[in-house]
Amino acid sequence: MSITRNIRSAAQSLKYSKWRSLMTMTGVILGVLSVITIVSIGEGVKRQVVGQINLLGSDLISVRPGNLVTRDKNGNIVKVNQISSFAFGSGSMSDSDLETIKSSSGVKTVVPIGLVNSGVKLDDVQYNQSLVIATNDKFPAMLKQTINHGVFFDDTDSNKHVVVIGKRVAENLFAENVPIGRTLTIRGVEFVVIGVFEEFNYSPLAYGTDLNQAIAMPYAAGQELTGHNQLAQVLVRPESVDQTTAVIAAINKKMTLAHGGQNDFTVLKQDENLSVVSNILKVFTAFISGVAAMSLLIGGIGIMNIMLVSVTERTREIGIRKAIGATNRQISEQFFVEATILSSTGGAIGIGLAFVINAVLRIVTHLNPVISLEVVLISAGVSIALGIVFGVIPAVRAARKDPIEALRYE
Amino acid sequence: MPIIELKEISKIFGFGDATTLALDEIDLVIEKGEFVAIMGPSGSGKSTLMNLIGLLDRPTYGSYKLGGKDVSRLRTNQLAKIRRDRVGYVFQSFNLLPRLNVLENVALPLVYKGVGANKRIKTASALLERVGLSDREYYLPKHLSGGQTQRAAIARALVNSPDIIIADEPTGNLDSESSRVVMELLSDIHKLGNTILLVTHNPELTRYVNRVVYMHDGVIVHDENTPIGEVPKLARKALNLFQRKTEEDDLAGVSALMKAIPTKHTTKKPRAKAKKPTSRSKSMKRIKK
Ligand SMILES: Nc1ncnc2c1ncn2[C@@H]1O[C@H](COP(=O)(O)OP(=O)(O)O)[C@@H](O)[C@H]1O
Ligand SMILES: [Mg+2]
Repeated sequence: MSITRNIRSAAQSLKYSKWRSLMTMTGVILGVLSVITIVSIGEGVKRQVVGQINLLGSDLISVRPGNLVTRDKNGNIVKVNQISSFAFGSGSMSDSDLETIKSSSGVKTVVPIGLVNSGVKLDDVQYNQSLVIATNDKFPAMLKQTINHGVFFDDTDSNKHVVVIGKRVAENLFAENVPIGRTLTIRGVEFVVIGVFEEFNYSPLAYGTDLNQAIAMPYAAGQELTGHNQLAQVLVRPESVDQTTAVIAAINKKMTLAHGGQNDFTVLKQDENLSVVSNILKVFTAFISGVAAMSLLIGGIGIMNIMLVSVTERTREIGIRKAIGATNRQISEQFFVEATILSSTGGAIGIGLAFVINAVLRIVTHLNPVISLEVVLISAGVSIALGIVFGVIPAVRAARKDPIEALRYE
Repeated sequence: MPIIELKEISKIFGFGDATTLALDEIDLVIEKGEFVAIMGPSGSGKSTLMNLIGLLDRPTYGSYKLGGKDVSRLRTNQLAKIRRDRVGYVFQSFNLLPRLNVLENVALPLVYKGVGANKRIKTASALLERVGLSDREYYLPKHLSGGQTQRAAIARALVNSPDIIIADEPTGNLDSESSRVVMELLSDIHKLGNTILLVTHNPELTRYVNRVVYMHDGVIVHDENTPIGEVPKLARKALNLFQRKTEEDDLAGVSALMKAIPTKHTTKKPRAKAKKPTSRSKSMKRIKK
């Protein structure tokens, strides 16, 4: 019996019980869907980080509170200590840390990112989605960010009550693209909008922090609001790119000294973001892969189960086929192909849905997931293999049926 | 030339206390081109005999030559291939696959033979024309009448040009008009030279055959040749003795007929397999033409 004939006949009998076939495939569908989705999100994130590194340059250094990573003796990151501590603003440094960093040798520019924990108000409308930061006039240059409308504050504005806002804040809060000259209230103090950022394509401060929701005010103004600034991060550029490593070493040394030998801060090179992200993704990917593997296993067992039921239900059919001359092998092939079609159809549906989810994620999030050909091929392969492995027992059982007893089966 | 030669064929079902001796040292020779009716009460071993001849089952003892070749000890796969190439089955309950259309059902044996799709469709289509179902090719079996279904099943049995056709009570589920059509069809096939074995309870149907074999308790109790077109002596006796009304009457008739045959075997108890060629079993051998 030819393979195409087998496939057509199998498709026919699966179509005959569409609903049951679909239920049976659920495990495989979900398994494939979740694997592809998580891998594609990871891939998208990595690509974004690479893009960010290319844009910002590998000489951008960031200093953050907390001991975030573990390094080997060559200084390579081997482990991310606590994923949650990578969230923006999970700890803070002080103004004296800022001075320590500034005075390290080889440092050219320093941009503090102070966190002003506050919602903002426009007239009586409260807006909590924004990220209110206090920084200095070098902020746009440091992040290679342009101002779309208006201007960024310069050093003469350092204690004026002005803000530059992200695109999303303009749209969502002011409901206009250029709300320059309008005022909003932060902690009871009125601030005048003097500029709107061009759209941020990356999240240079911390992954998942959307700078399009930023409201940036001069550093001194922030200090005035909060008493003393909570430094969530300090961005540094060395005098030249080849000095990057040396500057990092200098900052590390000075900071450790200033902290009495304690390593409760982390200095990261921009291009180390990739290994940080990879490390974080590894944990998620491992978890989701485990769930997906379970789902696939359950899917496989489900297929075996339903095929066994089908073999029993179709006992008479098997008897008839044998009576008219089907060999045991031809009978087993039929059920084997059916199991494989079931699993690979599940895989195909899973892959299809993954593309749908991918499109949706691209629209509603800024994750930009990327489905690679590789992951599609692997998923397809795994689905087919699943049917082959779990189709064996039903196929053998079908082939072994005694023709006379099978013909008598009601 | 004999196409079927059974020698001291016995079939025992079950183990231990629950054994049934379904066939008891059957000797039977069937020539190529014969149309044989097998009659006998329910449980007399007719189906068991048909299954053995059709190679769906193996005998417990004895030898079976099909077309001069010993087939009683072949392996499952070899049996399947001989079934496929040389045997056509027609069942009481039709046994078409419900999900395939009529054409696909008829062509199915060719699938297992490895015949290409075009040839399959042509052959099956030609046979459907022969049984008068050309206009029903794409119907599902459930949309056919009983008689049409059985004609499709006959087409399927013929599709591999088999040497023997085994029809186990093919008219058992049909009304008399459909039965007649089916029997005419089998008769035509016989006239073209096919060997046909027909199990039936209906004595009237024996007018299509040229030989009637009577079974009782796993033994052939009588075997006679009869001119085509006539209901033979014994069968006619059953016909005259009983007013046939239903299938049950048929059965009663055949049973009574068996009891009427003056041999001592009718009182014989089922016994365990014993090798004793009695004079009785010899006397039951068919009278050669
Ligand atoms: N698979 C089986 N297992 C046990 N006993 C069987 C089996 N098949 C047939 N028999 C027994 O063998 C005897 C002959 O049965 P069968 O050939 O079906 O008779 P018939 O077709 O003449 O009605 C009966 O007693 C029946 O119960
Ligand atoms: Mg029977």
